[in-house]
Amino acid sequence: MSISVNGQSCVPPGFRFHPTEEELLNYYLRKKVASEKIDLDVIRDVDLNKLEPWDIQEKCRIGSTPQNDWYFFSHKDKKYPTGTRTNRATAAGFWKATGRDKVIYTSFKRIGMRKTLVFYKGRAPHGQKSDWIMHEYRLDDHSDSNPQSHASGSIGEATTQEDGWVVCRVFKKKNHHKAMDSPNNCSSITSDAKTQMIHSGSDDALDQILQYMGRSCKQESEAISNHNMSSNPSNLGIRYLRPIETTLGASLHERFMKLPALESPTIPSLHNDYHPPPSDHPCGNQMGYALESIHAVVNMDSAYHNEAGINDWAALDRLVASHLNGQSEASKQLACFDDPSFNYCSTAKLPNNSQDYNHGGGSGGGGDEDLWSFTRSASSDHISHVSL
Amino acid sequence: MGEGTTNLPPGFHFFPSDQELVVHFLHRKAARLPCQPDIIPTIDLHYCDPWDLNGKALQGGKYWYFFTHRAQNKETANGYWKPIDIEESITSGDIDVGLKRTLIFYVGEAPEGMKTNWVMHEYHLLDGVLSSAGSSGSSRRSLKKRSNTRMESNKWIICRVYESSCASQNFHDDGMELSCLDEVFLSFDDLDEVSLPN
Repeated sequence: MSISVNGQSCVPPGFRFHPTEEELLNYYLRKKVASEKIDLDVIRDVDLNKLEPWDIQEKCRIGSTPQNDWYFFSHKDKKYPTGTRTNRATAAGFWKATGRDKVIYTSFKRIGMRKTLVFYKGRAPHGQKSDWIMHEYRLDDHSDSNPQSHASGSIGEATTQEDGWVVCRVFKKKNHHKAMDSPNNCSSITSDAKTQMIHSGSDDALDQILQYMGRSCKQESEAISNHNMSSNPSNLGIRYLRPIETTLGASLHERFMKLPALESPTIPSLHNDYHPPPSDHPCGNQMGYALESIHAVVNMDSAYHNEAGINDWAALDRLVASHLNGQSEASKQLACFDDPSFNYCSTAKLPNNSQDYNHGGGSGGGGDEDLWSFTRSASSDHISHVSL
Repeated sequence: MGEGTTNLPPGFHFFPSDQELVVHFLHRKAARLPCQPDIIPTIDLHYCDPWDLNGKALQGGKYWYFFTHRAQNKETANGYWKPIDIEESITSGDIDVGLKRTLIFYVGEAPEGMKTNWVMHEYHLLDGVLSSAGSSGSSRRSLKKRSNTRMESNKWIICRVYESSCASQNFHDDGMELSCLDEVFLSFDDLDEVSLPN
């Protein structure tokens, strides 16, 4: 594609097409949807089903400058005429959504959503994950309504617009021993990797992780409950999975916000104080597993893993431990959590959970809170059932 | 100083690669060749704390760019720049053309200053780059000036300064990289396939 601006044959040196999310949504996608003319035809229309990610860079090249990211418009088509899911399969593989959609704001006004997808080679469910990532941006139909009611993002695809134009950014995931030649590489400096971890934790990232964990755990425990649970008394412990997993997710977010600043000298190094529950206990297994995977991510994530980073996760360990220990009714049933080594977070210090709940629910009544109160009530039923 | 000097549509920003900084901007500056667009200003680092760069240096996203003279002493009014032990060569083709150093800004007096989040990438031309042919399209012309400019090749450096906070919502962070959060989600996708132990 040749680029001509005001007679100049190309983009001046040092300049890149690297639009902000706001520019993508408010300028390019808005014009596309409204069929308005776009000054410079830098974003092409692409049929996602007919384009493999490794062909995108050829098709979506802008000028002759080297690119790390590529942009295109795509028209989303439904997978099935009656359903709401989008068909994102290509000849060689398919794009699979990961995580939760992110709300895109511009000066506190909600303008759209971003979905993150990963390309898998092969056919679901046996695809092989690749390093190709796509961010799919769509405009928000609800941009004028109260942002709080949508603050948590969409939970299922069914609630969102799955038809029409989207603008996509495709790039190849960098491995974390990244080359240091890129200015946008936050990990090029030791302290950067650390701040990235910390800051990503501060904007409700943990909340999202926990919800995600909660979701997978729930699936897991549902799967377990499909087994004939009552016939075997040794399965009783499995029932605790639910209360722990939900209470953990429900208030951890809020408690995490109350943590002292990281790197603050007042943080005791609690990492060593955390004694995981006996590993033969199913709850211990579950939590230990989840924590391990978090640690694995962190270690993988930062080649420059340093003390502060560890403290960050030590704090998470501590929180999880404290919730396992201090969580009123549920954990008192669990002998393994009466371990005195948990005394750094006594039950007395814990905020009243139902108050947390009222607080959370009253602030917005958004999707998240509703979801949590639902699981919460489900788990209370469970608790009372167990303690009888 | 913003990016408004160029008349590009939305989405185009000053986001030069290391190589462009060295080969296009620094090399041309040192070789006294005309630089199009001539947008990167020259600043005396001694008089400029990093937070004063706004309006003086060229801003692209959360980064500021400027030329300055090479100096051993990198003190400013309120602090000093201290190099960290990472050096990187900048290549053009297969030829080493420059050197990239990273410095951190400390507030106060050396060596007892307090570390800040301000980071500087400092680019030097390698000795002889100006006289060697074939390192870039402009080298043919720079050959003519070899005798004049050789001594000056190390006089200029080009700097990129930014405050290393990934929380700031700037376009260079905007979805260009996977966030740590996304990485976590990705790894959980793997766990789904492995399935948790019962």
